[in-house]
Amino acid sequence: MNTLFEILSPDFLLRQALIGSVLVGLVCPLIGVYFVLRRMIFLGVALPQLSAAGIACSFFVYRVLVGPHQHFELTERGVAMIGSFAFTLAGLLILAALERYKETVEARIGITYAIAAAATILFVAADPGADAHMVSLLKGDILATTGTSLGVLVGVFSLIVLLLFACRKEFLLVSFDRDLAVVFRKRAGLWDGLLYLVIGVTISLGVITAGPLVTFGFLVVPPLAARLVTHRMLTFSLVAAGLGAATAFTGFYCAYRFDLPLGPAEVAVASVVLLVIAAADVVRRAVNKGRPT
Amino acid sequence: MSTIHVALRDVSLGYDGRVVLEKISLSVERGEFLALLGPNGAGKTTLLRGVLGLIPVLGGSIEYGFDRLASPPGYVPQRETLDPIFPLTVSEVVLMGTYARMAPLRPVGRRQRQVAATCLEQVGLPDLAKRPFWALSGGQKQRVLIARALAAEPEILMLDEPTSGVDPGASAAIMNLISSLNRGQGLTVVLVSHHLRLVRSLVRSVIWVEGGRAVKGPTEAMLAPERVGDIFGTLTGTE
Repeated sequence: MNTLFEILSPDFLLRQALIGSVLVGLVCPLIGVYFVLRRMIFLGVALPQLSAAGIACSFFVYRVLVGPHQHFELTERGVAMIGSFAFTLAGLLILAALERYKETVEARIGITYAIAAAATILFVAADPGADAHMVSLLKGDILATTGTSLGVLVGVFSLIVLLLFACRKEFLLVSFDRDLAVVFRKRAGLWDGLLYLVIGVTISLGVITAGPLVTFGFLVVPPLAARLVTHRMLTFSLVAAGLGAATAFTGFYCAYRFDLPLGPAEVAVASVVLLVIAAADVVRRAVNKGRPT
Repeated sequence: MSTIHVALRDVSLGYDGRVVLEKISLSVERGEFLALLGPNGAGKTTLLRGVLGLIPVLGGSIEYGFDRLASPPGYVPQRETLDPIFPLTVSEVVLMGTYARMAPLRPVGRRQRQVAATCLEQVGLPDLAKRPFWALSGGQKQRVLIARALAAEPEILMLDEPTSGVDPGASAAIMNLISSLNRGQGLTVVLVSHHLRLVRSLVRSVIWVEGGRAVKGPTEAMLAPERVGDIFGTLTGTE
């Protein structure tokens, strides 16, 4: 209990990291809802990895063109953001353009993941300045969250939530029944493009803040859990976001209390919640099956 | 006001440059109730999708006697094309039809909810508004999709196999519902079907699609007993 009070105290040393964690847990599932509904879950693995490759590439290019970057400097995060966003969006647009060739979709995503993972390691190896800090940034350096980076995170994520809320009927229409959107002459390509842009920005920022593992975990696990207990679109999104934020906070508490690595602790807590909800759903179905109709 | 709702002139349609239907010329008049019939794979759905603007026209032209932006067609797709992973209530599905006349970023308001409720009433399912869409029977889902099409407040209703996978009793009820919308509201109806027996007593015109061609005529002439034998010959296994 003391640990909980300590974490919630305004003077808590890692307060910015805690807020950053909960924000990633809150916003990634709102995007992840579309990953689950559009059956793009595997893309959720490949894109954060692609984002990490973008970070490694941008550092390598920066070193070649400008010189060594200084750790904890604003330019370091800026360079990382540019690389992460460019790689994520480019990958997303290429994969989306090939989306209609359904029969090879898994192969394409698998190849993207393999290339991105290999490229990340190669870019880090090719950068003589690469050290443990850069590797930790690639894994997600949430404990190093500064006031400025938290400000950027709050600003961008607020904009993303607003966009998702404002465009929810358009995003739902192009996701659920694209043909109907075309019949209604609703510029389906434009809305798809905007959704991909929002996904790209969220993943880039998520990876820089918390790393590919946490980003993927929160993109997929809370929406999958929420889908088991909701029957409406709005409640699906809200429950997914709520579960994400709650499990991020609980994961942070566990990591701090038991001295565990933060990212894996958060994903583990979210996964336990998913397993519990899935088990309860299996029991509920079994009970309902046995009842006379 | 023109009596022609849709006119096709030498239209060729297909996929990835491969022509499925060639030089189709026919028209659909206001208030008409017609069925696209023909063997499986003949191109009935291709023709419907071409008219709806879902696939590009490879040749010729399609003229519309209505404003497709202000008053788009009501469209009922094949039920199987919709993914049950979406958590949607019946009401949410029907509300999607009202998006047709809504500006981007405008939230759904009282008027849209009223239209959706009225359309659900029209298809005889006013009590199911809050039920999960995927928990309904095949016939009920089909009625909800018809309500969604009506929520667009269309002048023309286009349905792709509305009775596919639905039991015979529910199929007859759906066809009667569509027929009453045509007679009661003067709605132009174009539907794809392979249920010859079901549609022949209701539709006034038939477009027979086969061998890359489409021919239109009155139901009595197109499905006259002497022609039905030929048709059934090509329809083996579809009735």
